[in-house]
Amino acid sequence: MGEQQRWQDWIRERDDPRIASTKPEALDDLVVLDLSYKSFAGCYCSSLLAEFGAEVLRIEPPGGDFIRKCTPYGILYKGEGLNYLSEGRNKFHITLNLEKPEGRELLKGLAAQADVLIETFRPGQMDEWGIGYETLREINPRLIYASITPFGQFGPKSHSRMPDYDNVIQARSGNQYDNGEMLPEGKTYDDCPWAVPTKAGPWIGWVVAGTYMAVGILAALHWREQTGEGQALDVATYEAYTSLEDWAAIWYQGAGVVSERFGNLNIGGWLYCFAPTQDGAVFLGGLRLEMWQAFADMLGKWDEWGAAEWKDLADFSTREEQLKWAELVFAETRKYTTEELVRMAVEYGQKGRLAPITPVVAPVCSPQEAMRDPNWLDRGIFTPVQDPVYGEVIVAQSQYKLSETPIRIKWVCRPVGYDNEYIYLKYLGLGPRRLKRLKEAGVI
Amino acid sequence: MAESTWRDYKETKFHKPLPLKGIRVLEVCTLLLGPSGPGFLARLGAEVIKCEVPPMGDTLRSMAPFSYFFKDQSTSLIRPNPNKYWIGLDLHKPEAQKVFLELAAKADIIEENLRPGVMERWNVGYRQILEVNPRIIYIAKTGFGQWGQYAEENRPSNDGAAQGMSGYAWISRFPGRPPLKNRLYICDSYGALLGEVAVLAALHYRDRTGKGQYIELSQSEAIMRTMSWVWPYQQITGKCAEPAGNRDVSICPADTFRCADDSFVAIAAPDDEEFRGLCRAMGRPELADDPRFKDHLTRLQEENAVEILRIIAEWARTKTPEEIERLAEEYGFAASRVCSIKDVVENEHSRARGFLTEVDDPLLGEFLDYEFPVMMSKTSPRVRWSVRPVGFDNEFVMKYILGKSDEEIRQLYECGALGKWAQVRGRRPPPDWDGRAGLILSHE
Repeated sequence: MGEQQRWQDWIRERDDPRIASTKPEALDDLVVLDLSYKSFAGCYCSSLLAEFGAEVLRIEPPGGDFIRKCTPYGILYKGEGLNYLSEGRNKFHITLNLEKPEGRELLKGLAAQADVLIETFRPGQMDEWGIGYETLREINPRLIYASITPFGQFGPKSHSRMPDYDNVIQARSGNQYDNGEMLPEGKTYDDCPWAVPTKAGPWIGWVVAGTYMAVGILAALHWREQTGEGQALDVATYEAYTSLEDWAAIWYQGAGVVSERFGNLNIGGWLYCFAPTQDGAVFLGGLRLEMWQAFADMLGKWDEWGAAEWKDLADFSTREEQLKWAELVFAETRKYTTEELVRMAVEYGQKGRLAPITPVVAPVCSPQEAMRDPNWLDRGIFTPVQDPVYGEVIVAQSQYKLSETPIRIKWVCRPVGYDNEYIYLKYLGLGPRRLKRLKEAGVI
Repeated sequence: MAESTWRDYKETKFHKPLPLKGIRVLEVCTLLLGPSGPGFLARLGAEVIKCEVPPMGDTLRSMAPFSYFFKDQSTSLIRPNPNKYWIGLDLHKPEAQKVFLELAAKADIIEENLRPGVMERWNVGYRQILEVNPRIIYIAKTGFGQWGQYAEENRPSNDGAAQGMSGYAWISRFPGRPPLKNRLYICDSYGALLGEVAVLAALHYRDRTGKGQYIELSQSEAIMRTMSWVWPYQQITGKCAEPAGNRDVSICPADTFRCADDSFVAIAAPDDEEFRGLCRAMGRPELADDPRFKDHLTRLQEENAVEILRIIAEWARTKTPEEIERLAEEYGFAASRVCSIKDVVENEHSRARGFLTEVDDPLLGEFLDYEFPVMMSKTSPRVRWSVRPVGFDNEFVMKYILGKSDEEIRQLYECGALGKWAQVRGRRPPPDWDGRAGLILSHE
């Protein structure tokens, strides 16, 4: 064998999203029914499967799912809410009225032919309709039946009437409480209405719950390959988001300490914070002593701060020490632009006193800057999708790159009931005349 | 609500099979983005062998809230690392590389989060693994992926860098305030979770075809995938998506409100029925018929949203979170107090479900850990044991999994290929360890 090809070139030849259409799909043997209603968690979950080639039948009530109307500032694009526009990807959209007995019979027919069913109704609702897990498993013992709800299918609060929304999930999870700016000494919430427990991200609570369920479904699928048996899966959305928390529960159990807000610093250790710059902010990371030393050196503070004498990062990680050092560090970072600091770190890693030790310095970008970053554009994250209904649309994609079975987006979304003709004919043999009758009866 | 399916779920957990039984995973991972992925699989029953460079091992072992260590262990180490086997293997050494290839030949999945090319320099990269195990599923998790500008520059990354570069932190704050780093290591934990969707999809494909594959994941790209409306919004309007504090701009009303006792409650009531319920709960039923608030798309418009949130804020200021939760239950909208970690750990509902699970660990004693938050009716995921010092399971893995003799093992120690923990906090066993507890092959 001659000169071996550079690793990054070799792998790019195999996993660049641009060649996805030449490759097979991992889940194209599966049929998924997504009955989720008023839940982005369900939509996101079925998207993750649809990207891998699963045939997802998105089942909505005749008027469409309310989630389509959850859109920033009420903006619609060609009649569609922007969140739904992003998560209709690759799915076939049909309508079905589950309040009618005929509708429920049709659902049983679809469930008999499906591998996975996702639903987000209030626990008990599907049973009342006679299409709960215990009925459907008689019809199809291989069915994986996945429920995503605020409190789950069992436990004392599972009978709750409350609906499930992202901001409430975040509050209930514990992850909002200790996130946000600290109230400055001597100030009140009236002075600083922004120094309060703060939620994060667009719908991260829903997204995490949906992603966990996708992992659960795929694990259940592997087990089904071994045994032929389906099963029921249950996610309580706040538990899913809680479980990404790392250390606070152990701290509370071991030391009785309740984690409180610490702004842009990090209770879990130094150096790990956002720092102000002349024109914005940077992230600073140095979780090993020599990285913190390299950072001090990079700022020209090696002697003044006595970096050579530092012994243990733990000495910097208490609350008091972090507040003290943050003030010193921020006074320095304010002297530079974000770009200067990022470049200084890269150069330090090449020829600094401690090179190749490199302090982590990263720009804090707006999402608009992120969307224009040539690195992500080159990696296919924001490649516009050509959609026959909605035209050219930018949604995030290619979040993982696979050499054999890459994910891909075939279309972004579909209007309500767009695929009724095709899907009802394919699965239930309902041609135009039968479909018309069902439509007139309010079933579809 | 599938009563019989979930009856005694918590009590019968250990009497059920595990969904990933028989799947062997090798990890060469540090901090959170790496280890959390195999940690999820370990909860689902995979046999995970965690390789660390002795004697210091995973950098995460140094991380602790304000320098608090739980029985000398890093509090952060616990959640991502249950149920694993721990070996101290110095992959800089050829003898260790040979051992790794022997393990790789018998593994199904390899997970690593080193910088691109490092595994290949150690002669255990994907191309080298393929020679001993063409069926391997190999995932590499990094800041920027394996190729592209930032990967070429060999930039270091971690969670905070990804929060910065994706736009996630920029948008998760109050307007007019600096970008806010999320208190969770969300880009690490979520990136790891999303990565397992790809790993298990690849496993399904391998179940079908016998073919393995390579997967790469960038933590920035992973978190950008979650940001839903942000991308089409920026494309369609040409404007940057803006932060809005605790207000959800896609759902109205949905916000966090300050209560009478200066604690906080999150409320959401977007659909017409829920909104009507909230108005009645506030004693203002007429608001539901106000033209400014007549339907969801109207309520979402800026002026109307600001007005209705102001009205709710005034009302919430006169109530306690408990009162509002009770009203939400009665009138059918969503609400939760902003729970602290104390509320989370003491949550009776999650305890009854077994999401908060009692671990009886030979080294750490009894404590509550988070269970995998997907309850599976026939194959319950579960935590069995917790974290171990560096190299704790060397003998078990070398003897039982590889069948090496005492003499071979002695030689591996002698050349430094195998090693155990340093006698420092975060690396060594708990102070009350008796020298035997938890050891699988204990000769003494």
